[in-house]
Amino acid sequence: MKKTRPWLKTLAVGALASVLVLSGCNAGNSGSGSSDKAANLKIMWWGSDVRHEATQKALDMYTAANPKVTFAPEFTAWDGYWQKLPTLAASKTLPDIMQMDAAYIQGYVKRGLLADLSDIDLSGIVDEQVIDNIKIDGKVYGVPLSYNGQGMVYDKVALEEAGITLPTNNWTWEDFFAYAEEARTKLPKDKYPIDDLRNIWEWYQFYQTSKGLGPIFKDGTTFNLDKDTWFEFNSKYAEFQKAGIVPPADLQLTSKENDPQTDTFGTGRVMLRGASVGSATAIEALLPGGRIAVNSYPIGEAGGGWAQSTIFFSVSAASKNQAQAKEFIKWFISNAEAGKTLGTVRGIPINNDILKSIESSFTAGEQLGIDLLGVAKEKALPFYPAPAGAEDFVSTYKSEMESVMFNKTTLEQAYETLVEKGKAAEAKLK
Amino acid sequence: MFGKKSGSGKKFQHNTAGYLFISPWLIGFLLLTLWPILQSLYLSFTEYSLLDSPVWIGTENYSNILSDKLFVKSLIVTFTFVLFAVPIKMMFSLLVAMLLNKNVKGMSIYRTLIYFPSLIGGSIAVAALWRNMFGLEGYINHILGWFGIQGVGWIANPDTALGTLILLNTWQFGSTMVIFLAGLKQIPKDLYESASVDGAGVFRKFYSITLPMLSPVIFFNLVLGIINAFQMFTSAFVITGGGPANSTYMYVLFLYEKAFKQYQMGYASSLAWILLLIIGVFTLINFTVSKYWVHYESEGGKSN
Repeated sequence: MKKTRPWLKTLAVGALASVLVLSGCNAGNSGSGSSDKAANLKIMWWGSDVRHEATQKALDMYTAANPKVTFAPEFTAWDGYWQKLPTLAASKTLPDIMQMDAAYIQGYVKRGLLADLSDIDLSGIVDEQVIDNIKIDGKVYGVPLSYNGQGMVYDKVALEEAGITLPTNNWTWEDFFAYAEEARTKLPKDKYPIDDLRNIWEWYQFYQTSKGLGPIFKDGTTFNLDKDTWFEFNSKYAEFQKAGIVPPADLQLTSKENDPQTDTFGTGRVMLRGASVGSATAIEALLPGGRIAVNSYPIGEAGGGWAQSTIFFSVSAASKNQAQAKEFIKWFISNAEAGKTLGTVRGIPINNDILKSIESSFTAGEQLGIDLLGVAKEKALPFYPAPAGAEDFVSTYKSEMESVMFNKTTLEQAYETLVEKGKAAEAKLK
Repeated sequence: MFGKKSGSGKKFQHNTAGYLFISPWLIGFLLLTLWPILQSLYLSFTEYSLLDSPVWIGTENYSNILSDKLFVKSLIVTFTFVLFAVPIKMMFSLLVAMLLNKNVKGMSIYRTLIYFPSLIGGSIAVAALWRNMFGLEGYINHILGWFGIQGVGWIANPDTALGTLILLNTWQFGSTMVIFLAGLKQIPKDLYESASVDGAGVFRKFYSITLPMLSPVIFFNLVLGIINAFQMFTSAFVITGGGPANSTYMYVLFLYEKAFKQYQMGYASSLAWILLLIIGVFTLINFTVSKYWVHYESEGGKSN
């Protein structure tokens, strides 16, 4: 026993470690290009528990039909997802298949992390036009999974009781402001016609794009905040704040969207607000029993709101199992049984045949989503996410406008800060 | 010659055994602490988005930080927080510790009850609870309503949000309090007895006996308190998210957002090193000044 030499142990440990490393390498290389070989696909998505369960069921169904393809699923909530994915990208271990969002996909494509999926034959599964809309530099990097869009919801019962003229589809921004002014005179004091969303940069962007002036970052590169339009818009809201047409700033900032305790719309404080198709079920749960009616966004000469796919499945450019991954994605949006299992956990299914087959069993919330999409589609503008690199501008916009809402900064000072940040972002984007 | 060689061999073997025994810790330290620290020092001189590989840009991050308005804002917020949170928390925990040091029947039950919040104090659940309590329609405003006071949205108002966080921090006094309590128990009773004989009152005893005798413990709590306060994150992140209007935009929250929301790992690493520097300077000042007010019993006759 005493003779045991330490170096021998070291050697043994070393040998063991190298075996582990080697076997690890093997596992990484085992998949190959052709689709009939066995593969273990790493797949990642974000979402709620309902989505997690339904997706896992669908994965099991696929493995049952194709025993050679197995899955290593991983799923988190939205926030954690966008922290984890870049970390995986940094260590060059992106999953084979990952759920992607329209706000992030460009950043990943720009860095060459996603595989070109243009050769998946989606004819008869996804509308030509939908595919054209989501192409980046003429190529498909994410297969759309569902329709999304932005419309408005309002508390029909409350508005009718107060005798307020109901909003109409394709109303203009002037109509929208006029509605707010009229409703103020007829609503009880602690209820408000609309929210004060000055601190949400997209809300202003909707105003600018509807007037045909383009998004704040034109072509994703050029800073394009139209000064006059911006002042006009924010002065209007400042007036509204004084007149009590919008909630006071501290009530407004307490509101967390779709939180039953604080959401201004959900607690019956605010009568009308924007709503995406994806959040329809949550909104219906806030004010159930058919109180909610849908309406289009306020529009300008260019249109208003947006309607397009925002959730995709993408494949890692470094994946060794691209063929199997592509085959699976196609199955995922076209297989009837899978469609039934998945229902609307990712929104309204992109495949119209599947949509028809599950339509009959829609809940009130799902139906609300369909209705929202219906009103959003007609005059929809493209979806303009903040380009990767403008994050600083986005967070500055929020804090500066909050200062304006609390009268801690003037509109002029805020504008100067925003232009400074916008130019800095522009320099980065070019 | 031969004997000497075998001797050094033995010594080598002796050392190896030692290293082998501490190797779990050693490997953990080298791989999980020292290596990431060095890595972050390197990254602080690069531009690194996680998605691309790091690009060396020299000291550009540091010079950018110095002209970043948000950096200044977050420093102001953090310093304000430290300035108020640390003394308030220490005074409060000393007060509670002194109350709990009394000889009352069932004191151990009180101690447990009062320490209890600290077990869950720093958690996200409590932060979420706090958010609801101090909301516009929360519990606090409800109680104020009984007295006819119209409350504000405590955490949604830039004037009160930071104060609310300082209050929450004070409420998490448990561990500081326990350390104080242990310190109080070590002060010999005969000092108080002889002071009583000399006719000293409660306050005189506190200033002339309790504070000097407790000064090493106060010093310890102060150093830890300042370090912790500078690293404050959870409640700002969960309750206010740095808002409204950046009024609770803590330094570490700024760092976190740079790293994981804006994917500027290089910039965030530089921020981390600057924070280390700030905390280091403060600790150094603390130790230098401590000579003048901290008394150690072992140093016996030394007095000011």
